[in-house]
Amino acid sequence: MADDGTTRGQFLSLSTVGIGAVIGGVIGVPVTAYILAPVTDEADFQAVFLGKIDGFPADPSFKPTPATYVEDPQNPATSPGLAFVQNTGKSNTDWLAADAMFVVFSNRCMHLGCPVAVAQGVGFACPCHGGQYDKEGRRTAGPPIRPLDRFQWEIKNSDELWITQRWSVDFVNGRLTYFPVKMPGQPVAPPGPSVVADVLYPNVTYDHGPVPQPK
Amino acid sequence: MPIPAPDPKQMVLQAEDWVEYRSGFPTLVRKFLFRKVPPTGWFHTLGSSLLTVFIIQAVTGSLLAMTYNPSPNGAYESIRYITDQETLGWLIRGMHKWGASMMVILLFLHMGRVFFYGAYKYPRELTWLTGSLIFLTTMAMGLTGYLLVWDERAYWASVVAVNINGTAPVLGPFISKFLLGGPVFGAQTISRFYALHMLIIPALIGGLIFIHLWLVVKLGVTPWPGRPVAQDEAVGD
Repeated sequence: MADDGTTRGQFLSLSTVGIGAVIGGVIGVPVTAYILAPVTDEADFQAVFLGKIDGFPADPSFKPTPATYVEDPQNPATSPGLAFVQNTGKSNTDWLAADAMFVVFSNRCMHLGCPVAVAQGVGFACPCHGGQYDKEGRRTAGPPIRPLDRFQWEIKNSDELWITQRWSVDFVNGRLTYFPVKMPGQPVAPPGPSVVADVLYPNVTYDHGPVPQPK
Repeated sequence: MPIPAPDPKQMVLQAEDWVEYRSGFPTLVRKFLFRKVPPTGWFHTLGSSLLTVFIIQAVTGSLLAMTYNPSPNGAYESIRYITDQETLGWLIRGMHKWGASMMVILLFLHMGRVFFYGAYKYPRELTWLTGSLIFLTTMAMGLTGYLLVWDERAYWASVVAVNINGTAPVLGPFISKFLLGGPVFGAQTISRFYALHMLIIPALIGGLIFIHLWLVVKLGVTPWPGRPVAQDEAVGD
């Protein structure tokens, strides 16, 4: 070995630091990757059968029918969901039509995700922190910052109501507008350019396809 | 020559010498316990009260872990079994539950004492910082432990807590999925919280308490504010 002025002690110190770094990396990199891996997981919404359509009668006062479903069939104990099916008394089976037969609300409060309950004749109310919504799911009081999510639905086999996708909604200039799903508590259409909004409040990464336009 | 009868006191002292010569532990313990301290009051007992509660939490928590079942279908049932059927299960669980609240209350009182006595000032800044980390990790224990009861309140309180993190700009959804261990609340969430509550955070708190106590012993107890330190009670060794 050429004598470049490195002492035996310096060489051993550097070796110890270097081997230590290698050992740290061998342990640290997989551990970090393992812990952070769930961050990239995506949840796809799977179509769910809610019930026969005569189980969701129209009511003269506002009284949507609750329907339970399981969001993730692999984890039924931890993914129970509840949808509120409002029969509008009309007959169009196109869910986007102005005279659509049903409006299917999600019961997830848009404050922090508690389950809302129906306030008959009025709208919805959340037990956790007092959020209130009107008959269209629009916030009327309390901390929620946007209307209740809605489900895309369709009728299969002539009398089965299925929900096929979840959408976040807001009333932009008074008009119902659909958005990809965001966390409760995050605005779907914050003021400012939409690029900034998308960075500030990323979608919950559903593979959702094109955003529907109401007719 | 008659062999003298063994003297019990001498035997203990010899045993201590034997350990001392091989480990030095008796000196360590004596230095830890027999220190010079300035005149103190009841407020100075809050720190050792916290240590006591932490030990209670560690012991009762270990016992609960022997019966607790961290799964979506088994958690609530195992809690009910501990509370209603296991011998003294109600007591161990009660100690752990009330101990958790006591720990948070004592922590705030202890922090208040240190703050109002000005005990965080030079040279004790690191003691305050490690104490702050103990405060944060204790809060994390409260959060992760709350879910484990797995009743409606536990479930929805945890949903709310995760969603509070989820509302953060930019990183919100990622933090939320990190906490949940996936995109939605699932079986993996309860085992994740269980591992954090049982293994990772307690180890962190244990290490932090060690450093905190090391600093307390090294720097000495803070006297009353504004009171001059006498010559014979100089700070530290």
